[in-house]
Amino acid sequence: MKYLNNILSITIIILIIVLVTIGLISAIGSDVTKAITGFFWGIFGSFYGLSEVLVRATPLILAGLGVAIGFRTGFFNIGAEGQIYMGAIAATVIGLEFPNLPPFILIPLVILGGFLLGGFWAVIPGFLKARFGLSEIINTIMFNYIAINIVGILVRTSLKDPNYPLPMSPELPENMYLQQLLYPTRLHIGFIIALVASLLIYVLMWKMVAGFKMRAVGLNPRGSKCSGISVYKNILLASLISGGLAGVAGVSEIAGLHYRLLEGISPGFGYIAIIVALLGRNHPVGVVFAAIGIAALQVGSITMQVQSGVPTSISWIIMGLLVLLILARRTVSSVNSDQKEEATL
Amino acid sequence: MIADFFVGLEAFISATIRMAIPLALAGLGETYSEKSGILNIGLEGIMLCGAFFSFIVAFLTNSLAMGITAGILGGMIISSIHSFISIKYKADQTITGLALNFFVAGLTSYLFLLFFGKSTNLPECLMVPVINIPFLWKIPFFGPVLFQQDGYVYFTLFAVIITWILFYRTEWGVNLHAVGESPKAADSVGLNVIRIRYISAMVNGFFGGLAGSYLTLALLGFFMENITSGRGYIALVVVILGRRNPLGVLLASLLIGSANALQFQIQVKGLAVPSQVFIMFPYIITVVVLLFSIGKSHDPSSLGIPFTRSKR
Amino acid sequence: MTTIHMPLLSMQHIDKFFFGKPANNDISLEVRAGEIHALLGENGAGKSTLMNILFGIYSLDGGTIYLKGKEVKFFSPREAIKSGIGMVHQHFMLVPTLTVSENITLGIKSTGHPLPDRKKINDNIRQLSHKYGLDVDPCALVSKLSVGEEQRVEIIKLLYRDVELLILDEPTAVLTPQEIERFFSVLKRLKEEGHSIILITHRIPEAMAISDRVTVLRNGTRIATVNTTETNKEELSRLMIGRNLKPIVRGARAKATEKDNPRLDVKELDYLEYGQGKLQKVSFSLYPGEILGIAGVDGNGQKELAECILGLRKATQGTISLNGVRIEKSSVAERKKLGLAYVSDDQHHDGLVMDMNLVENYLLRVHTYKDYIKNGLIDYQACSRVTEEAISAYNIKAPGINAPVRLLSGGNQQKLILARELTGNPSVIVALKPTRGLDIGAVEFVQKQLIERRNEGCSVLLISVDLEEILMLSDRIGVMNRGRVIEILDNNEGIDLAHIGLMMTGHTFEEKS
Repeated sequence: MKYLNNILSITIIILIIVLVTIGLISAIGSDVTKAITGFFWGIFGSFYGLSEVLVRATPLILAGLGVAIGFRTGFFNIGAEGQIYMGAIAATVIGLEFPNLPPFILIPLVILGGFLLGGFWAVIPGFLKARFGLSEIINTIMFNYIAINIVGILVRTSLKDPNYPLPMSPELPENMYLQQLLYPTRLHIGFIIALVASLLIYVLMWKMVAGFKMRAVGLNPRGSKCSGISVYKNILLASLISGGLAGVAGVSEIAGLHYRLLEGISPGFGYIAIIVALLGRNHPVGVVFAAIGIAALQVGSITMQVQSGVPTSISWIIMGLLVLLILARRTVSSVNSDQKEEATL
Repeated sequence: MIADFFVGLEAFISATIRMAIPLALAGLGETYSEKSGILNIGLEGIMLCGAFFSFIVAFLTNSLAMGITAGILGGMIISSIHSFISIKYKADQTITGLALNFFVAGLTSYLFLLFFGKSTNLPECLMVPVINIPFLWKIPFFGPVLFQQDGYVYFTLFAVIITWILFYRTEWGVNLHAVGESPKAADSVGLNVIRIRYISAMVNGFFGGLAGSYLTLALLGFFMENITSGRGYIALVVVILGRRNPLGVLLASLLIGSANALQFQIQVKGLAVPSQVFIMFPYIITVVVLLFSIGKSHDPSSLGIPFTRSKR
Repeated sequence: MTTIHMPLLSMQHIDKFFFGKPANNDISLEVRAGEIHALLGENGAGKSTLMNILFGIYSLDGGTIYLKGKEVKFFSPREAIKSGIGMVHQHFMLVPTLTVSENITLGIKSTGHPLPDRKKINDNIRQLSHKYGLDVDPCALVSKLSVGEEQRVEIIKLLYRDVELLILDEPTAVLTPQEIERFFSVLKRLKEEGHSIILITHRIPEAMAISDRVTVLRNGTRIATVNTTETNKEELSRLMIGRNLKPIVRGARAKATEKDNPRLDVKELDYLEYGQGKLQKVSFSLYPGEILGIAGVDGNGQKELAECILGLRKATQGTISLNGVRIEKSSVAERKKLGLAYVSDDQHHDGLVMDMNLVENYLLRVHTYKDYIKNGLIDYQACSRVTEEAISAYNIKAPGINAPVRLLSGGNQQKLILARELTGNPSVIVALKPTRGLDIGAVEFVQKQLIERRNEGCSVLLISVDLEEILMLSDRIGVMNRGRVIEILDNNEGIDLAHIGLMMTGHTFEEKS
């Protein structure tokens, strides 16, 4: 009975999404069939399309993992967007400082740097929450705006490429490029790194005592304290890892795709990552699949725009609507149901 | 020299008020919601929706009254969705709010494109006129500041006073307080917790939508994507800093507004720094301001927690 | 002269099921006008369920309710109150940030709505409180009231709404012996004024002292209804429990007393919260192989004391030594490693993580033990094994070790917590109201466990508001009042209960004259 209910509600959600999409496409005046075919062709129609999905999924997996870890520990990381940019900044600075290091040193260094700077960017709100109980939701959002503007300042001043009038950094050294996996697609090692990260996070959270403690803190902070688990330390740790993973997403975009720092490398990946974490139920496996699904949505909608003039803002409408419908479907039994009561004790 | 100073001061005060009004209005609405126990992160979406719909209706009908009404309605629709999902489905209020923000951002962007196509010229709309309060506005210096403002400013002051009376002098205020503090106790004496929360959410949408309409109809005169740029989140901070007290919210809005105004003054001096430095100001100030609220404010005990009647 | 009165209230053949299990099974209850009727039963017998049905909080699955001869069904407390039935719950339904007066009139449209005439209301409240002997200050903020005062506010709240039949759920659980006497005189006054009272209780002496009739419930069914004057403690006990309860024999202490080094030494412990002295110069020592019981009315610092010793709160001043090591600056984890165990009445928040399974909840204790953690990795096999052992040793009913702990009954949850906390042979057990709210089987189990540990040489700090339990289990008894531990007495034959009662209200020995 419960099984049937599940199928029914999922079908209704899909139905609503499809109807809304069709409505939005036709309102613009585009040909619905052409648009939808374009959408699917963009994803499945070519090898390149499929690879693009994985390219797009890479930062979503990484940032999504970060957000998921945060959620599990009770740290609502809305700041992944800013942390991605901070990771990108770290990658750029390190790459420009040490262009002659061999790849097998430079690449791990760049990843570490991105992890640390992204982690740092999240630890500040994390500390303010752990120590003073300040809302990390508002803080991390503010830090997003601050980070994006820091990038804007840097690419116009100290990190600006002197040879071009546009605000962007000089081209980064080849030694830090993340290798392309399947020429001529854009798929790069970043995707492998993302998958490895998922595995590592799974082991951390469910096989290691450190992850167990984080999960306990997320589910019952007071009970954890009574058992000798430090809520303070674990929130800090969670914010560090959460921001760090988002930072690595930023590194991946820089070192695997753009090869220089510029504005707009993240069209909202950090925010989309929140949706990915939600859809994936804060579990690494779920995050990977949700990231790929959302990435497919993005790739398809770009093709739809190119071929049929359907604006990409539709994907935000659909994503927001999807989350709202899913929230309505899942009632009280969510992953962190006890967390709500603890949150205001 | 003295004249320069006063001119600068006047500009500073005007800018402060202009920055503060949307925060104060949105923050005021949010206090109703939070006092009843609902935390609405979707305030950004409410404001954006209000901004867009007030703009488009004002543009199409050439009537400010219609525009303002549309903005208010737009805000109320979004807040109703938020409260419906939070109350009926007991969903996490933060995530609901965020999802609505994404949704509204996409929707307003889409609708804007639908109506105006991809033009680089931003269409303009009517703007709210300034109202001179007879006699008083002629007082040197203070006159214009206090008595030569647009309707939004006067309404904001009026709303703050009414809210204060409502919260602290009427039984409705006591009921609202009880619902947010101890919904079980409120329920046991027969107060309709659910209904009070829905009504608070509507009020939240009213003020939030109005705040959004201020941006297009009074402040800027046009609409563009992401016109709110985080003001909804900053309004949440105003509520925290103001300890959910209408007067506190007003003062907190003025505080943040003045910091932003200061940024303009500095920017005008024409230093050779990228504009991003100044754009960052409001957000950095918000974080700093949050630090001042450490350990002081007492959240309503049921904030963010869905209300469940014991299983019957 | 006996006349046949139509009963004020008649509940007939009431059924109520939760998840398929009967909480109330064909229960019939009759309450006459102007009587004090005790509803007696142990925890889980179904008393609160029955009254919640009457009061409109629960719906009934079978049966009918008649009030003054007319059939009624209440769908909300508001409807019940409108018909003259009111209930004071165990956990008070007051808004702490509002005044007494605002709480009393909450939900009522007073004259002058929406701008109420607070002065007139306060006068009315003072009148009521004089009439019934319920002392309250209408202008006081509820958060500043004592528990006894809060209870008075709750009762006035009902009287203000012209309630005829009052249902009181375990009202004396929060009162000192002297306050209980006062409370009984209030009940008598209410009765004189024509009110009827249903008293939900699990304490036989109370039912005997104040009621006119007693209805005994056991396991969701009505066992008997008797006139109080025609029964006695033993009969009621037998009806309530279904067998003769063998009192737990404490036995002599295994080890000698003061000569040994104290296991737990607390000196001049102070704890300030928002300027209030929750703990003031608390000093005591706990020796091997003894149970030190701390009695007192709830809310006098018991929770703060337990949490300061555990390490959840940092004392403002004073020292705590565990086995000779100073721990007042140590973390909870360090204290537990040194041999401290903690059991409280709040399984939900203190003891367990409800959404995790039994193994993971066991891990909450052993996550620092090298036997179960190898190189940061959890040895699930070892953990599962020890959890299985605990389940059989403690007779814990659970649908497997991988089931979420939320599915266990309160008693089984507490058993799991106990099993877990006793791992590694702790030298000091801090037990804060460990049997509160449990069914009698679990209560007996926990109490027996504490005695067994004490016989094996463990030290137990038993902080409880149940004076009977303290008397039954403790070797020495201390009394807490307003954050002070007043006095510590040996618990032997000649112990003076009246003296303890006085201490619970704050009279020290010197003041007693």
